[in-house]
Amino acid sequence: MISIAIKYISVLRMNWIQALEYRANALVGVIAIMSGLFIEYQIWSLIFKAKGYETVKNFEFNELIVFIFLSIIIGQLKSSWHSSGEMIRAIRTGEINKYLIRPVSYFWYHFMMFIGFNSLYYIVYTLILIGFVFIFPGMIFNSFSTVLYFLPALFISIYISYCIYFIMICFAFWFGEVRSLVVSYNLAMLILSGQYIPIRFFPENILNIINWTPIRYLVDFPVSIATSLLTKQEIYNGFVLAIFWCLVLSIVGSFIYKLGIRDYEAYGS
Amino acid sequence: MVLRYINLWTAFFKNSLTRDMEFKMNFIGDLFIDTIFYGSMYFFWSIIFSYVDVLGDFNQQAVIIFLIVMYLTDTVFVFFFGSNTFTLNTMVVKGELDFVLIKPVNSQFFLSLRYVSSYAIVSFVILFFLLLKLLYDYHGQFYFMDLIIFIISFTMGILIFYCIEFIISCLVFWYRNFSVGGWLSSEMTKYSRRPDSIYKGKFRRIVFSVFPMAMITSVPARTLIFGPDIYLLSTQFLVTIVFLCLTRLIWIRGVKLYESASS
Repeated sequence: MISIAIKYISVLRMNWIQALEYRANALVGVIAIMSGLFIEYQIWSLIFKAKGYETVKNFEFNELIVFIFLSIIIGQLKSSWHSSGEMIRAIRTGEINKYLIRPVSYFWYHFMMFIGFNSLYYIVYTLILIGFVFIFPGMIFNSFSTVLYFLPALFISIYISYCIYFIMICFAFWFGEVRSLVVSYNLAMLILSGQYIPIRFFPENILNIINWTPIRYLVDFPVSIATSLLTKQEIYNGFVLAIFWCLVLSIVGSFIYKLGIRDYEAYGS
Repeated sequence: MVLRYINLWTAFFKNSLTRDMEFKMNFIGDLFIDTIFYGSMYFFWSIIFSYVDVLGDFNQQAVIIFLIVMYLTDTVFVFFFGSNTFTLNTMVVKGELDFVLIKPVNSQFFLSLRYVSSYAIVSFVILFFLLLKLLYDYHGQFYFMDLIIFIISFTMGILIFYCIEFIISCLVFWYRNFSVGGWLSSEMTKYSRRPDSIYKGKFRRIVFSVFPMAMITSVPARTLIFGPDIYLLSTQFLVTIVFLCLTRLIWIRGVKLYESASS
């Protein structure tokens, strides 16, 4: 067990070192967050002023901006353009062969790569969040318990997101190129996961559907915990459902992967 | 000279079309991406307009016209330049730029227009007719003069879009490897994907001048919605010229720095 853990931690470490080589990525990540937040700030300040709103869906203006700020950060941490692209290429070109003949799990190897590649963002965004807590006290992480709940919720969000990517990527065993599927998913999730508008603002019928999917646990759940919008009971219920989705997606992913490997002909290698 | 380059581009187009037809799933996949992109942006604005009736000068109908102009800008940009600008990073890293520089053709032209994304024609046709319908619904008639001026302003918007992407991709000459160029560019051009009326104060002046994001989509859209504004159009013309010259200068300077390290 320990040797397995060491093996995957080595993968994580390797990708971490690689990610630290490209520090400009973190700078662009910060620009992405700030520019996204700035645009949302402009839109919502115009709406609050134009309509004279005190609150929208129980959000005061400042609370809404903080919520969007956190949502953009979580949205970026759970996204994968790089790792998913690499995985698709590996299947298409036959590079996946090297994983098949080695004592490593393709799923966990790339999960560690996924985390390792994003590790630079984890560091930078954590610093931003710590700074935010001190500069604007009381806006996020009101109590230590919110931090304790937030961290596993964030981990679950990243895991669910990775599982969804993994399932989509496995279709490359049959279709060869599934880049468009992943890009479409990424684009749709920018809005649907609540990265730019809280999902509470969505029409009731769409929100009802989203509540029955894992999408809710990608961004909204961790951010709602951090901003103290959920009661303890809602947090516990949320965790139960989120873990249920982790299990379902892991099983589906593993099933599709096994089917895919059975059909895989290594034609690119 | 011009005819030679038109013939060359036609050859690029034929070659790209043949390639795209070889991989039909990619062709359909790219159309699928566009549909999702259009759908998600429309959904975003429909939620915004469930809380407000007007965003500055733009009401919901005007924002939908703005969105279609934005989609058209994106489509035309992708058609001509989309598959080219950020290949520069890989070329510089691998030293493949040598093969472009030794060709008896303007290297910036070759690099910017080599691959044509033919699938964008389908999106363009659909969006163009949708725009005409929306304009007719909005005004109750067609203003052909506005449409002609729009086409000119739209072209200038595309050129500014190209200049910004190309300048960002040229940063590879200074940073040696700038793989996040595409991401940075999409974050920069995000400002052009919102109606200019949301920007206030000094920042509004900035998006109409040194950081000309409002010149890409908002000015052409305004021409269609509110009619031509001579001041805005002449500023757009000036900004286009300045940015084209800047792009050329940066390219020439960048190529001088290129060391062909990995080739």
